[in-house]
Amino acid sequence: MGNFNWLLDGSIVGVYLLLTMFAGLYVRKYVSKVDDFLVAGREMDVYLGIASLAATEFGIVTCMYTAQNGYKFGFAGATPGILMALAMLFVGLTGFVIKPLRDSGVVTIPQLIEKRFGPNIRWAAGVVIVLGGLLNMGVFLRIGGQFLVQVAGMNVGYLEITMTILLIGVAVYTILGGMLSVLITDFLQFIVMSFGLIAVTILILYTVGWDTLVATVETHHGAGGFNPFVHPEMGWQYVVFNGLLNLAAVLTWQTTIARVLAAKDSKTGQRIYTSTSFFFVCRFLIPGIWGIAALAVLGTSVPDSLDAMPMFLAKAVPMGLMGILIAAMLAADMSTDSSYMLTWASVIYNDILAPFRKGWSDKRGLLWNRFIVAGIGIFLLIYGLWFKLEGDLWTYLGLTGTIYLASISVLLVSACYWEKANSWGAVASIFVSAAIPLGFLIMEKIDVPSANKLAKDIGPYYSGIAAYICSALAMVVGSYLKPKGGLAE
Amino acid sequence: MKTFWFVLTIIALIWYIFVTIFVSYKGVADIKGMLKRLSEQNKDKD
Repeated sequence: MGNFNWLLDGSIVGVYLLLTMFAGLYVRKYVSKVDDFLVAGREMDVYLGIASLAATEFGIVTCMYTAQNGYKFGFAGATPGILMALAMLFVGLTGFVIKPLRDSGVVTIPQLIEKRFGPNIRWAAGVVIVLGGLLNMGVFLRIGGQFLVQVAGMNVGYLEITMTILLIGVAVYTILGGMLSVLITDFLQFIVMSFGLIAVTILILYTVGWDTLVATVETHHGAGGFNPFVHPEMGWQYVVFNGLLNLAAVLTWQTTIARVLAAKDSKTGQRIYTSTSFFFVCRFLIPGIWGIAALAVLGTSVPDSLDAMPMFLAKAVPMGLMGILIAAMLAADMSTDSSYMLTWASVIYNDILAPFRKGWSDKRGLLWNRFIVAGIGIFLLIYGLWFKLEGDLWTYLGLTGTIYLASISVLLVSACYWEKANSWGAVASIFVSAAIPLGFLIMEKIDVPSANKLAKDIGPYYSGIAAYICSALAMVVGSYLKPKGGLAE
Repeated sequence: MKTFWFVLTIIALIWYIFVTIFVSYKGVADIKGMLKRLSEQNKDKD
């Protein structure tokens, strides 16, 4: 049993939940059309955008795998955060892709893709984005539940019912208020989450001490714990793969892009990116320090490295601060869940249903959007909570992410900047981008020793780099192969 | 490299504290402005 006190900490969590629900439900009266529901009427300004983007992109699942990175790789585990911050700063300063995307007035990425490659590619892109996004999100609920149960010292048997109630709460305000409710609750959640993250980090630095953290990394990881290029499990290929992955995520991850599309203009969207960029260093570094502290206190005896950080926090965080930590993590998870549900719903409604919803009224469109969000909530419950994931979290997230990140980023960059890009190139790019990571994972899992050995020799990072390079090459080759003035889109 | 991570951690914490306070303060005005504009749009529509 941890330090969670039901009266004190439970009250803190209860007050936070009530406030969030009230705020989320209060703004539903401002929603009168589909644009209000999906992009908050495009009225979002910079500071609300920063809070919303930061809250959305930090969930319990993020905290868990970044802490795991700290536990497994030391400070070098925060490298993806630095690369993502650099990618976001570059895109924010230059407006690369996001400026033409916002200026085009689209609601989703596939809508822009249609303008260059036709309705079939828009539909295919929508399917790939939703498939990758929903499968990616499918594990969030269980991982979040695992964290909360361990930190609060709850009976594991209550995991499913706790997370079901939480998801229903999130779904209710998302269904009624759409992006407006998401933005308002994100704002509250950003404050609560940030306060909890900062307070716990200061506590850890005070109690464990910086020198102990550095000595722990030195003992367990040597120089590689500080420098990813010399870490035996990382190397230059890890850095290059993460550089490509994070640039693609910054350009095409629909939940991130949704903040640019909801911004009142492209300049506001760029400012949100520039101002939020450094948050992504904190996003990896702060939980990474929690992971290193777990290694310092618990050692390497923890059976699953993913559990090390919550096990450590259950003992290290005192009563009172425990309530703030749990409220912070609930805030992180709720903001992520609500945004993700709404974002994937927007792609389903806007792109996958595009051929079937001509002439629909705003009222009918709103109703459908609400049904889709509810449907995604049900999917999450069945897939994410009641279905047990086989294999490790990293492999799973890597597979579901790379399947669409490589092709959609190539399609988007081509749509914005390459005049010769066409539908043949787009099809080839989507196919190659999905085939390489899937092929790698199949080789890794099937019961054929030679295929397993080949997958081990190649490794996940080279395979990931190949997916990005080959997807871009496929776009070029496919586009040049299409006969000029020939087949219709 | 140890100095790099020490400096980065300190900057990250100070930056995060500052941004949390600043965004919390300025975000309220953003929310009020956004709701006001949406309310006006809805009135015009009616």
